[in-house]
Amino acid sequence: MPKGLRYFLTRFIGALITMLVGTVVVFFVMKAAPGDPALVVLGDFATPETIAKFNSDQGLDQPELVQYFNWLAGIVQFDFGTSLSVSQGEDIGALIAYRLPSTFFIGIYALTIAICLALVLGTLAATRRGTLVDTSATSLAVLGVSMPDFWLGYMLILGLSIGMGWFPSYGFVQPSTSILGALHSGFLPALAIAAPMAAVFTRTLRTSLIENLDRDHVRVARSFGQTGRFTFLHHVFRNSIIPFIVVIGLQVRYLLGGVVIIERIFGINGIGSLMVEAAFARDYYVVQACAVVFLGVVLTVNFAVDLICASLDPRRAR
Amino acid sequence: MTVSRNPTRRAILKAGVAGSTLAFLPIWAGAAEAACATLRAGITGYNVINTLDPARATLIPESYVIWGMFNCLLKFDEGMNIIPDLAESYETPTPTLLRFKLRQGVKFHDGVEMTAEDVKFTLERLRSEEFASPHRSKFAPLSDIRVIDAYTIELETAEPFAPLLSYLTNTRTGSQIVPKHLLENGTPESFATNPIGTGPFKLQSYEPGAALTLTAHTEYFEPGLPKVQMVNIPLIAEESAGVTALLGGSIDVTSTAPFADIPNLEKDKRVQVLKKPGTNSRFISLNNAVAPFDDVHFRRALSLAFDRQAMVDVVLFGEGRVAKGVIPSSISWAAAQEQPTLTMLDPAAAKAEMAKSKYGPGTEATVLTWGSSWWKRFAEVFVLQVNQVLGVNFKVEVSDSGTVYQRMQAGDVQASIWGWLGLVDPDEYAYEIYHSKGSRNYEKYSNPEVDKLLEQARSEMDQSARGDLYRQVEALVIEDCPILPCFESNVHNLLSAKVTGFVQLPYSAFGSQLANVDNC
Repeated sequence: MPKGLRYFLTRFIGALITMLVGTVVVFFVMKAAPGDPALVVLGDFATPETIAKFNSDQGLDQPELVQYFNWLAGIVQFDFGTSLSVSQGEDIGALIAYRLPSTFFIGIYALTIAICLALVLGTLAATRRGTLVDTSATSLAVLGVSMPDFWLGYMLILGLSIGMGWFPSYGFVQPSTSILGALHSGFLPALAIAAPMAAVFTRTLRTSLIENLDRDHVRVARSFGQTGRFTFLHHVFRNSIIPFIVVIGLQVRYLLGGVVIIERIFGINGIGSLMVEAAFARDYYVVQACAVVFLGVVLTVNFAVDLICASLDPRRAR
Repeated sequence: MTVSRNPTRRAILKAGVAGSTLAFLPIWAGAAEAACATLRAGITGYNVINTLDPARATLIPESYVIWGMFNCLLKFDEGMNIIPDLAESYETPTPTLLRFKLRQGVKFHDGVEMTAEDVKFTLERLRSEEFASPHRSKFAPLSDIRVIDAYTIELETAEPFAPLLSYLTNTRTGSQIVPKHLLENGTPESFATNPIGTGPFKLQSYEPGAALTLTAHTEYFEPGLPKVQMVNIPLIAEESAGVTALLGGSIDVTSTAPFADIPNLEKDKRVQVLKKPGTNSRFISLNNAVAPFDDVHFRRALSLAFDRQAMVDVVLFGEGRVAKGVIPSSISWAAAQEQPTLTMLDPAAAKAEMAKSKYGPGTEATVLTWGSSWWKRFAEVFVLQVNQVLGVNFKVEVSDSGTVYQRMQAGDVQASIWGWLGLVDPDEYAYEIYHSKGSRNYEKYSNPEVDKLLEQARSEMDQSARGDLYRQVEALVIEDCPILPCFESNVHNLLSAKVTGFVQLPYSAFGSQLANVDNC
């Protein structure tokens, strides 16, 4: 166990350092960009006096390093501070807690769609290598990676919503209101995010399956008279799934990138759209808080991926 | 699912969850189609609302909502004429005195009657130094506010001040009447997200950044209004998402539309496109205090060196018109009527003017602009044309709008793209931009003759005489070219085919028109 604990601790401390560096970068890049939260809040009515008052009220007249460390000191006590301009005076923790479920729902929905598509297409392509099925699946995968998600989002709206009328073109029913409603109204945004991911997953799974199908132990298993299905599940699939899961972990950051854009197109009131709004409104602390959440999610998922891989392949933990 | 009088922000957030989903419920409620149970009116292109307190509001989407929840003493009709609203009638016994007779039986959303005391309180709150309303300067000329009886109030100014009437209309003026009984001991923080007005709608829930839900004020003073019982207002950050939302049937009305989409939408039978020239003025601001714009001949040469119609076509996709002066043509009683020759492309005349100036071909200058879309294109079209016609060497610098504004105020700019939107009185354009003491005179323009005319116009209570004075001002100023008026853009609303009753006004009166919608 001490070995496992050390593994855990090094990963955890690494994650914390990554997070810290991330917030420093985000904070100072935001500060370096032109723009001022005071102007966003005061609009056409900004005067040098009202701007100065706003800045001193919000502590923005202090040196930037002091502002950053004040913020950091708050974070350690789970106090994200209050929003400057995107929802003035609102507690950022509450803002995020309120918006997180929608983003999680869409993210997990998209991931589920992508994994299901990849499992079906990847398996079909690998087991029917060289046939029309394989060519179609691989072509579909190439198409998937080459389509930007925001474009695909609008195309899906155009076809399945405005054209066919099957899905709403805008808005999202919260899962807490209606799960069915959330699944229905969240389908197009989830699909738009899932398509490029599904393409990458499919290709990874196909390659990995093909590699394992040709392995000696598989041939041996077949020669022992085991059924095709048994061989595939126990000797091929289980070995092929590890690179697949690693790729899922790597793709999570694209998932979050997709969420940022797709939430705006479909009007989903989640963390992604919050971050964009906050960036436009120069709401430094909200952007920071969102970045911390995103970094947290990426690091947690990757950590989980490591654990899953270790359990699938015990050699890894040794 | 009602919100208590003084809810916490969290309670409002929670109520908002349910509220915002209402717009999308029909899919799951089997699309029960009554005449129009819930109107879904999207605010497009914006999604930040910080306050619904009229005296504090500064952002356009805030005004959009406030207009539906409050009334002022006066309002504008379709021809931009001032007509009574909470006032039943008004008179000006002397040029410095305005006397309002108020409607009787007007109720706030909490059932309390609105009286002259509320009007007095509203105006005093706006004028208060401590409250520091961004609209405070508009009401500085008031010298006395007298309640005569519950339904009569007198406003006195030290000097005659004609713009006051416009400042008492339900526009971006801050003068929406608020309840004294709730605010006299200081404005509670909750008023920003749970305001009480006299308007046709009251707030049911507000989900920051996402949506608002309004319900009908059953005791509204205009009989038969509002015609819809509930309005859901999703806040849609992307204008293009607003278009797809409307086409897909998720909303019924939008507050704006992307210029480039208008030609296609006009051919689309599922959509009604409302458009008219708006109360806005877009121009190139020249810093008259620095080279090379300190030379009137050089400024005139520039004004003659570009085709404004080309700007309208390229920048606005034709959705606007060439400006004749700084006062928008929609304020028809004051706007210039003829296109001044100095605003028409004439390369020969432009070169002749430049020959008289101290600057010649090769003169360098930077034109400041912002963003990636039409404000940037605006600057590029200008620079491209003047460089070609005059052989000068102008370049475009792209920044963000806040920075441009700050630099203009500080005088740290040679030239910039600029404009004003939603101002309703000619004084707000002409006086503030052209008067040597004007608050928007970032060009540092000064002409004693113009100053005198502008002051005269301020104190002229007769509208047509006042309008003539503004036309004289425009005629004088255009010779000096302190700014280069370019164009006015159209305001747009998209309605689904079924919507009837929505009337568009030049200042894009979104919220104040929702009460008239009778079908959706």
